[in-house]
Amino acid sequence: MTAVPSAAAPRARPIPEVRTGRPPRRGGVPRSAVVVLFMFPAALLLGAIVVYPAVASVARSLYDKNGNTFVGADNYRTLFGTSDILVAIRNNAIWVIVFPFLVTFLGLVFAVLTERIRWATAFKTVVFMPMAISLFATGVIWRIVYETDPHRGVINSAVGTVVDVIHPPGLYALPNIKPISGVSGAADGSMVSAQTVQPGGTVRLGLTGIPLSAVPPAAQDARAAATVATAISGLVWRDFSPGGHVGTIDPGEKGLPGLHLNLVGADDKTVATTTSGNDGAFRFDGAAAGTYHVALDASNFRTAFGGVNWLGTQSLTPTSSLGTTGQALLTIPLVDLAAIMAMLWMWSGFAMVVIGAGLAALNREVLEAARMDGASELQTFRYITFPLLRPVLIVVFITMIINVLKIFDIILALVPDSAQQQANVIALEMWRIGFGGSPDYGLGSALAVFLFVLVVPVIFVNIRRIRG
Amino acid sequence: MQTRDQRRALGVLTTAAVLTLSACGSSSTSSSSPAGGGTPQAIGGNVSVWAVWSGTEQKDFQAVLADFNTKTGVTGQFQSKGDQLPTVLGTAIAGGAPPDVAILPQPGLLHDLVKKNALKPIDSVVGDILTSQYAPVWKNLATDSGKTYGVYFKTANKSTVWYNVKSFTDAGITKPPATFDQLLTDMSTLQQSGVTPFAMCGGSGWTLTDWFENVYLRVAGVDKYNQLAAHTIPWTDPTVTTTFQTLSKIFGTDANMVGGKAGAVSTPFPDCVSQAFGSTPKAAMLYEADFVAGVIPTVNSGLAAGTGFNFFPFPSINGSPAAVSAGGDVAVMLKDTPQSEALMKYLASPDAGSIWAHLGGFTSPNKQVNQSVYPDDISRAAAKALVDAGNNAVFDMSDQAPAAFGGTAGSGEWADLQNWVRNTSDIAGTEAKLEADAVAAYGH
Amino acid sequence: MTAVAAPLTTPRQGRRQGRLRRLFSRSTVNIILVVIGLLWLLPSFGLLVTSFRPAQDFFSAGWWQAIAHPFTLTLDNYRHILQTGGIGDAILTTALITVPATLLVVLIASLAAYGLVFLRWRGRDWVLVLIVALMVVPLQMALIPVASLYRSVGLFNSIPGVVLFHVAFGLPFAIFLMRNFYTGIPKDLLEAARIDGANEWMMFRRIVLPLGKPALASLAIFEFLWVWNDLLVSLVFLSGSSHVPITVAILGQLRQFGSNIDLISTASFVSMIIPLGVFFAFQRYFVRGVLAGAVK
Repeated sequence: MTAVPSAAAPRARPIPEVRTGRPPRRGGVPRSAVVVLFMFPAALLLGAIVVYPAVASVARSLYDKNGNTFVGADNYRTLFGTSDILVAIRNNAIWVIVFPFLVTFLGLVFAVLTERIRWATAFKTVVFMPMAISLFATGVIWRIVYETDPHRGVINSAVGTVVDVIHPPGLYALPNIKPISGVSGAADGSMVSAQTVQPGGTVRLGLTGIPLSAVPPAAQDARAAATVATAISGLVWRDFSPGGHVGTIDPGEKGLPGLHLNLVGADDKTVATTTSGNDGAFRFDGAAAGTYHVALDASNFRTAFGGVNWLGTQSLTPTSSLGTTGQALLTIPLVDLAAIMAMLWMWSGFAMVVIGAGLAALNREVLEAARMDGASELQTFRYITFPLLRPVLIVVFITMIINVLKIFDIILALVPDSAQQQANVIALEMWRIGFGGSPDYGLGSALAVFLFVLVVPVIFVNIRRIRG
Repeated sequence: MQTRDQRRALGVLTTAAVLTLSACGSSSTSSSSPAGGGTPQAIGGNVSVWAVWSGTEQKDFQAVLADFNTKTGVTGQFQSKGDQLPTVLGTAIAGGAPPDVAILPQPGLLHDLVKKNALKPIDSVVGDILTSQYAPVWKNLATDSGKTYGVYFKTANKSTVWYNVKSFTDAGITKPPATFDQLLTDMSTLQQSGVTPFAMCGGSGWTLTDWFENVYLRVAGVDKYNQLAAHTIPWTDPTVTTTFQTLSKIFGTDANMVGGKAGAVSTPFPDCVSQAFGSTPKAAMLYEADFVAGVIPTVNSGLAAGTGFNFFPFPSINGSPAAVSAGGDVAVMLKDTPQSEALMKYLASPDAGSIWAHLGGFTSPNKQVNQSVYPDDISRAAAKALVDAGNNAVFDMSDQAPAAFGGTAGSGEWADLQNWVRNTSDIAGTEAKLEADAVAAYGH
Repeated sequence: MTAVAAPLTTPRQGRRQGRLRRLFSRSTVNIILVVIGLLWLLPSFGLLVTSFRPAQDFFSAGWWQAIAHPFTLTLDNYRHILQTGGIGDAILTTALITVPATLLVVLIASLAAYGLVFLRWRGRDWVLVLIVALMVVPLQMALIPVASLYRSVGLFNSIPGVVLFHVAFGLPFAIFLMRNFYTGIPKDLLEAARIDGANEWMMFRRIVLPLGKPALASLAIFEFLWVWNDLLVSLVFLSGSSHVPITVAILGQLRQFGSNIDLISTASFVSMIIPLGVFFAFQRYFVRGVLAGAVK
């Protein structure tokens, strides 16, 4: 910037003398020369790097990979006939349908809410800040946020905290826990003794799949339960030791304390409950005569929340019955929504600021008048504020559509390899095809042209807005 | 003037002396490179090198380049291109500005580039080294239409199953399994002891291709393996079915893998390494190549080679002989400058391999790399198995395939195998899809 | 989300509405916004904490657990990337692209905007329409032909090539923004100068440029951030160079996300420091730029 005036000033000085004799408004040749001087740098760059290439891309899209053979619309046919490209187009469609609405909505909500607080500037700064960060860094940031393991990803940790409160994991929340001797698993996750037992009898329930580290430190060595005349007694223990045998209490095998046990009558009703002791022994006292099963309650084994794989390929719509093309078109992968969230984080501030400026420019008197007339908050918003804000909302909406059509970096950075194909977008596919290992300039150009065609309506809207 | 000229002449002489000295020094340390075409010369200048290596691998390779610099005065400008390497390399070649040297992760890419006339033959540069210091398989793999284009610099023994020693001890397994049946028995023991047998890295599709290849090699033998690699037999061959059936004994049961089938296909490498070797391990075993040894310390520095983790060779199936599947990064030359030739020669030499081998996570195919340079018994054993296998080692099948089939995330073999893990009972459908994708990629 | 939507679903009953409004205008809104604000900070904060952790900790526990054990945090990651130099070189390359591109856009756009506003010539309106149209042309449209063009003139794999591409695609927006601003400058001001014998260049230099400073600042910040944060353009036109900008450098490290998280998180954070600094220092102008040209 500073270099510009010093370089240009000496040249500028003599000119006034040349021009003094002439009426300033009547510009002949020198006048157009001035126009050229002012417009030329922009015209040159726009012509060489924007306009000419755009036209050249259209032409190139009609030729084959190497550019030697005219193939007409073949590339466009390939475009709509390749399932990987259809996936990219589908994803752009999902983005265009979902994202502008969400971001405009969030921006509107933030803008309305910040109108009422004193520290609005601080809030706006915080929400606006991600706009300064690259989409690429945003991808990295959110990749850490979305880690599947609830111990590592902050979202899964939050979800897990809630889920684990509603469904607290059991003391033995182990994925591999298995009944091994004298027990069998039931459909509801509980485990039931294989044999029936009567008062005065004993049961022995052996479990495996419990790592030593998961056995409470207070646990003592398992011992065969003593028979008690009027009670049903038994043992539940970790039926595993290196070189040990299934069904026998081998030396060193520990009882499993803290397990909730139910005594289940012949009619499948629980008649008594108890908890195993440190040596794994338990006892149901005073059971009436009859035959019973002993069951380990399902809550003992309920596993903790394992985390949602946000950046995975699982679809939100059932598509397994569809063919390849149908799947390509109708799957809504979770990873798309995860990426949209990250993008919302980035752009909500923009929507908030633009809409907030629109709100600030509204005529206060009209709003106050409406309120005086008894209009509720919602009515004022719906019948006065919203219609007045509409032009601003449309600006935000259109800006976001354009933004989302060109989306590229965030997918590359956010989405792990195993889901990249499912999260593919047009701009990314265009780069892979046009600049990949064996570049296909024809198909790549066709993709670029397709992208351009999608923004053409926006061009007309913009022109109308600016002229009107 | 006179004095200044004299001084300059003196300077030149001094420099020459220093260079000669350093050249002597390097030839004396590289005592085992008589076939290397004489002593390396100090030529100075720069050479640009691209590879996929990032993180630890990048640091280690830069140590190799530093030694190259002290020996030749050439500065290696390394750039990590990550998984985008094939793409970015394509862009650069099309733009007429490739790097001097690139180290390719798949031999399939080497042949692609030869077709594009992007590579310079290196027979005159390192041909004699490759013949005398390498098993013929490595030179053959880098040969296209009679000319040699690449040096296999970093190789991997891909027939290693890594296990957490403590998990095995806790389960009372004293001897790692040598046969597949024994492996299945041990898996059940591990399960009873409370640890999930395997951590799977199916989120990275290439790990599934490695699983398939190791089982296939043992089920079908070397000949069939090479035929399937060349796609001269179809993916619907009965041997493929047998292989999937064998794999189902592990992949078909949720309890065998951390997170079940869903977890097996969504966990990427190296997250799976932390599942088996992290501070709170969830699994006892992890199958992947010898470079796992280099990754384990980055997820858990408290685990020592030998006492904390160890490996056993991929077990024999129905009495199949010992066999090694190998992978490797091949260095190719895109510009024939003196600097790139010097680098190729250096990478082929035992010196370069010894430096990285000593840092760990690296296996050199150069027979003259002394086994003693490997940092521990484990990497030494993995390296020895690979070098000993010589011509009996087969090369990673998916890496030989066209990249569209065997090397692209989310499509081809990677995606097909991931889909198979999601639904292991659909062997016929998987085979049909694999065959269709293979036909599309191979063109036959 | 549901909590945020509350004000919009306020019960319609007029009598209760006043009370509710007062309630919302105080504590509830404040609490909601505090929570949202904290949520918004959380992801970047997570990256910041991660960048101070050893890579292996990333596998064992979330970054929030590290805050409870501050002694596990380390400066080693930063020390390491400073020592190895690759990231420093990448930041320098980024700056070598961003600064010239920003200056050129600002200069060329103000010239052209002056030409569009204060000079009268035939076709001027159509040029404006064209510029508005060009504002939304996706740069993908130009990648392949410009790649060929650059190859033939030797700009491929060069920083000037990347700079020119950024300038060209920044111009339509920039011209539009400056034109909108210049339209607000009273014509009388220039008429007076013209009668005093000033030529167009002098008027541009002495009157329009100084008056346009706020708009120039907005534009400069906008361009700076846009170019600094770019990945695609450099990936295409600079991938063969031995000096690449920071985004391209980090992309090369994304393989095996996790085992080198120390490097990725640190480099990502370093890449954010300068744009964030620019953002905080000139937020006012940035907002103004956003508002003036919200069509980009």
